[in-house]
Amino acid sequence: MKHVFAHMAGIIPALMLAAGLAGAAEMTDSEKQLYEAAKKEGSVTWYVSQTTTEFADGMCNLFEKRYSGVECNVVRASGQVIFQRLVQELQASAVQGDVMSTNDDGQMLQLKEQGALAQYAPENLKDMVPVLRDMADKENYWITSGVSPLVIAYNTKLVTEAEAPKNWSDFTDPKWKGQVAIGHPSFSGSVGLWTILMNDLYGWDFFEKLEKNAPQIGRSVADGHNLVVSGERKVALAPLPLILSDSILKKAPIAVVYPTDGALLPPSATAIMKDAPHPNAARLFENFLLGPEIAEYFAKDYRYPLRAGVPLAEGMRPLDSYTTKSVETSEGIKKLPEIQEKFRDTFGI
Amino acid sequence: MTSVSDTDAMSWSKDEPAKVRVPWHQRLQPANLLWLFLAGILVVLIIAPMWTLVVSSFTDAKTGGWTLHNYVEAYGKERHITALTNTLKMGAAVVVLKLLFGVPLAWACTRTDMPGRNFVRYSVFGAFIMPPYLAGVGWILLAGPNTGWINKIWHSLTGATEPLVNVFSFGGLVLVTAIGGFFLVFVLVSSAFEMINSEMEDAANILGAGPFKTAMKVTFPLVMPAIIGAALLSFLGAIALYGVPALISIPARYPVVVIQLTEFFSFPLRLEVAAAYSIPLLLITAALLGLQKLILRRKGYVAVSGKGGERRIVKLGRWRWVLFAYCMIVVSLAVIMPLFVLLLAAFSQSWTTGFSLDNFTLSNFHYVLFEHSSSQKALIGSVGLGIAAATVAIVLALFIAYIVQRKLLPFSGVLAFLAVSPYVVPGIVLAIGFYAAYALPPVALYGTYMILALAFITRFLPIAFTTSSAGVRSIHPEMEEAVRILGGGRTTAIRHVVGPLLKRTLAGGWLLIFVPAAQELSTAIFLVGPTTRVVSVVLLDLSEEGELEKLAALGSLLLIIIVAVVALGMRYLGRDFMLRRS
Repeated sequence: MKHVFAHMAGIIPALMLAAGLAGAAEMTDSEKQLYEAAKKEGSVTWYVSQTTTEFADGMCNLFEKRYSGVECNVVRASGQVIFQRLVQELQASAVQGDVMSTNDDGQMLQLKEQGALAQYAPENLKDMVPVLRDMADKENYWITSGVSPLVIAYNTKLVTEAEAPKNWSDFTDPKWKGQVAIGHPSFSGSVGLWTILMNDLYGWDFFEKLEKNAPQIGRSVADGHNLVVSGERKVALAPLPLILSDSILKKAPIAVVYPTDGALLPPSATAIMKDAPHPNAARLFENFLLGPEIAEYFAKDYRYPLRAGVPLAEGMRPLDSYTTKSVETSEGIKKLPEIQEKFRDTFGI
Repeated sequence: MTSVSDTDAMSWSKDEPAKVRVPWHQRLQPANLLWLFLAGILVVLIIAPMWTLVVSSFTDAKTGGWTLHNYVEAYGKERHITALTNTLKMGAAVVVLKLLFGVPLAWACTRTDMPGRNFVRYSVFGAFIMPPYLAGVGWILLAGPNTGWINKIWHSLTGATEPLVNVFSFGGLVLVTAIGGFFLVFVLVSSAFEMINSEMEDAANILGAGPFKTAMKVTFPLVMPAIIGAALLSFLGAIALYGVPALISIPARYPVVVIQLTEFFSFPLRLEVAAAYSIPLLLITAALLGLQKLILRRKGYVAVSGKGGERRIVKLGRWRWVLFAYCMIVVSLAVIMPLFVLLLAAFSQSWTTGFSLDNFTLSNFHYVLFEHSSSQKALIGSVGLGIAAATVAIVLALFIAYIVQRKLLPFSGVLAFLAVSPYVVPGIVLAIGFYAAYALPPVALYGTYMILALAFITRFLPIAFTTSSAGVRSIHPEMEEAVRILGGGRTTAIRHVVGPLLKRTLAGGWLLIFVPAAQELSTAIFLVGPTTRVVSVVLLDLSEEGELEKLAALGSLLLIIIVAVVALGMRYLGRDFMLRRS
């Protein structure tokens, strides 16, 4: 019985919180209008590479709960794959995706220049953390829909904290031969940016040396993370929220190192397609991404909430407490093709 | 292209005994219209998408004018050439391995008194039901360099720290590709073994040849066409496969053509370059088909007729246990080991932890059945597409095979080439051909199940054609001639003689298509729409996210459904096509 009460003790504040949320989430007039229009459209299709499928499904479920009658379809793939699909649809003038979320805002800039994006300033922008809000497009062609710093993950069963790499250049230390996992810049959007960052910091020499360590090259960053969890590799490049939630919630043997030479901070971006088949549902969805439900959902999963005033999960360090580096959007677009080509030449794949 | 079909249809009348000029309205007989219709379907399924590809390989993406630049870009880099030669090397190695697996097993199961033949047959069938990428995941769990079970056991036994086996290597790529496809070798060669009657072997025995010499001089040469055909299909299948390279060759850093193609298909899309890059593969198919024809033409192989024959099995004595051991090694590598780890992973919270009650969970199944956004619908979609594609492809292929084998039309060799050609078009390229031809308005099939079904029919037409063709070839024309003499038309002959005689072959062919179609990945990956995802695509996404336990659970569900459909199919058709008279 004690057990049950222990649970109850946890549930009551949760209930209160939920009640508070419901109060806070009263629909505004413009939201109601959008909702009515969205119900007529029936559904929204969300192309997403920003999160894992599981996490995106959870966001969609929350959306459907709040706006019953509007179905939410998740189409998840790695960054370059989703982008490619969308470009294909644009060329075919058969756009199926309403909303797109990516970790590579360079893609958004390209789409904007093609005239493929719709301009929209969601109502909830006003409640955003200002720093995050300002990372988005100044003309409201896209919003910041998350920040997942790319950091170093290591397996705590195989590597002690003292042994763990301290910065990115440690990846090239021969002691990690056969033990590093990275993603591929031609598949993953954020790995593309990471490759650019490494090249900017250390020159291509970094990758020549890394190649000698025979890293396992996966397609996405989630892959490398799981390789470390399973112990197949000792260290990897991985997104912070995955490491924290797996180590704290699932007790997985994985821990994080905030590299001293700077965690990569790719702002995730979300935009609405100009030719979206469900434009109102798309607007409703984008606004929802900045709402209180998603902020709570992010915080619970060790992500940085987008709304001001939502507390960080325990064990999470504030963004300004460690070194972060970003790649400037237009810079990224300019450098990516060449970097992908060089990567393929060096690693042969 | 329609003009060719028109002339085909006209020259059909040349087959008639009297070579007089026929008025045009008489040419519009039902039979002629049927051939026209078939030719039309082939145009839609094969020529239009392929034509789009060939044309675009010579098209300047910007100006739309004629250019060779795409070829320069496709082959101007050493890395791109390496991928091509790597693919050929891999294909050749896979063929050797598939033949080493398939031929002895086929012989053992059909012509010898080896124990456990039915068990081996079932296991080989299991290897077929298991999609290549699932076998790949199984082998990643078994032979991952640091945490693969084989390596963990090896480390604990020897104290070594270096991996014993590494799936992320050329050898791993070849093994996983081969185990996914040696079933085809087994089936084709088995049915050839089954068709030979023992009279010729008896003759060899009477003339003093021992069992070994008889096998080498009589039995194997008789099944040579089947072996060559199987080798050809194996090669083409191996070089066009997408899933296994996506899982293994990227980490193994062994670039192959399909991976190179994904580079051309990533942003910025270079469809024209990709088209140029895939043209040599088409030429290779043509060359191989020509070679096959050349080899087979030199000798007569009609050893099978409507007459029955005695077929006796070879008594192996103590060697039967040696053969049995070999078969067991093959089926362990191909099915038992990967399937076992896969099932174990499906019921585990974390596959690396190994067996224990703490680690047991059903949550992976719950997740893929009820929580994951698309897996439930994907299961239904995959099975439905498999059924549709298999049915349409078999019916279509039977008619084409009949025309080709009976030489009813001039240039029937072209029809044969067309029907087999999709096999060598890497699935992704086929997908883009279909995409370019049919996804856009005015046809506007993007995001529908129809475009997937059409692409699957095309993709599996070669299997359907090979099966039907082998079947038709085995039927002596005398029986249809009897129908013709009695006044029946060609269609009557097909409906009442060829069809029923081939019922078993066709049922086998149907299953041979249904199973891979329900698991199809290479084509689906670019043709699925947001609401028409299939299981294979969902599985690949799970692998990319590293969710191997959930992947294993969804994979197991797919396997269970396929096994159930296959069992139903076998029951309905009355006879088990794998478990022949034994």
